[in-house]
Amino acid sequence: MTGVNSSVIVDVNKVSKSYGNLEVLIDVTFKVSKTEFFVIVGPSGCGKTTLLKIIAGLETPSSGSVLINGNPPNPRFLNIGYVFQEDSLFPWRTVSGNVRFGLEVKGLTSEDKVKEVIDLVGLTGFEHYYPYQISGGMRKRAAIARALAVDPLLLLMDEPFGDLDAQTRWIMHKELWAIHERLRKTTLLVTHNVEEAIYLADRVAVLTKRPGIVKKIIPIELERPRNKLSRQFIEYRELIIELLREEVPGI
Amino acid sequence: MAAEKSFRNSSRARKVTLHNVILVAALFFIWEVTAKIIHSPFFPSFTEVVGATVRVMVVGDIEGYRLSDHAFASILRVLSGFGLACITGFPMGLLMGLKREIYDASKSIIEPVRFVPPIAWLPLAFLLLTGYLRYAMIIWLGAFFPILLNTIAGVRRTSITLINVAKVFGADKRSIMFKVVVPSALPETLAGMRIGLGVGWMCIVAAEMMGGDPVGLGRLITKYVELLRIDVSLAGILLIGLIGFLMNEAFMQIEKRLLKWRMEVKI
Repeated sequence: MTGVNSSVIVDVNKVSKSYGNLEVLIDVTFKVSKTEFFVIVGPSGCGKTTLLKIIAGLETPSSGSVLINGNPPNPRFLNIGYVFQEDSLFPWRTVSGNVRFGLEVKGLTSEDKVKEVIDLVGLTGFEHYYPYQISGGMRKRAAIARALAVDPLLLLMDEPFGDLDAQTRWIMHKELWAIHERLRKTTLLVTHNVEEAIYLADRVAVLTKRPGIVKKIIPIELERPRNKLSRQFIEYRELIIELLREEVPGI
Repeated sequence: MAAEKSFRNSSRARKVTLHNVILVAALFFIWEVTAKIIHSPFFPSFTEVVGATVRVMVVGDIEGYRLSDHAFASILRVLSGFGLACITGFPMGLLMGLKREIYDASKSIIEPVRFVPPIAWLPLAFLLLTGYLRYAMIIWLGAFFPILLNTIAGVRRTSITLINVAKVFGADKRSIMFKVVVPSALPETLAGMRIGLGVGWMCIVAAEMMGGDPVGLGRLITKYVELLRIDVSLAGILLIGLIGFLMNEAFMQIEKRLLKWRMEVKI
């Protein structure tokens, strides 16, 4: 295994998952290399969240294997940052308390690191606010900061901006890209938003409706920062929407 | 914005306090006037009850115990039984909340026992235990179940997402327990404790009435009813209400402080 491609961080090999008779994922295979921003786009209910949970080691595949940096995904031994789809801040902790959480659990508490990532996501000045006191967009930033605080090998993001309004979502795309450019963290993001995928991704994997199968992996060869109104951007959008349309008639 | 809100809250609180003071004063006034009109030894006026309170406070009762002796005896008994209920009910609630099978297996004990009024155990407690312990046991029985059941409910309500957050960071069971489950269940647990404290306070009076010890607010009431001295009995009753109210208020302040991360502290 080792030495074949040392820059592969995530190696998903023929992963299938079913709950009883319900097949959620079939033979999902892809690799994500170091510093890559990889986006999985697919319709609702295609098993995207399940796939991320398998990669994070929160669930086990029915068959197939996942290797993170050559190791099976055990969160005890791997350093993974995960941004959940739903609100996931601890309501009883302040912003800085939340950001400190992962470091605390790993026994690495470093106030400098906490400060650094809070600054990175633009929450300086809000360290002592409780989640209920800040906006949805700020809660997302705090969740991203918390995931980044542990200096993860891999950043997993599950529809991180799904519950934000369009404008905030757009701002978050730009900021997430800026963060990625700075830290170069290997990132795997799942979304159903095609524009989000094209704007952020180095490569986009299109997943079919349940059971989820990787239909196509498309490298996005566009200059950064990307212009959502450019002709090529719209061409990519048409292409991916076309691929999805075959799955969900009526888009 | 926050300052304005707290200003609004404090001015509202002042208004509420004022209304309550006026109402209580009016009630005492009506009581005073009615008692003066009825003019019966079995219906002491408010001022007579205040006089009796001062007398028991300064001089003591017929056996020489002062009001403070009675009050402290009752409070100490309640707090010891309540403390016992907290240190048993909370960990057991955590355990049963996390391991449903333990609760299910012991359901046929917990559920019937919790419907036995603690007072029903009194004769047994007095037969089996001595001194302090008999009261502590009754209070424990009264306070234990609200704490246990509320903690179980709180633990079960813990968000799976928050547990997953901890798991992804590699948290072990212990960290998940103390950093996620316990703080998440805290609002319910504290509400259970507050209810338990109230139940305990109600039980203590009944226990003291039957207990035979010369001190305790419950005993003070029966002592003077037997002498047909309603004024002192009423003084005891008023003090029971007042102390119960103050304990509840104090507990709510603790709750407010511990749960300041909640948008609204639901009391």
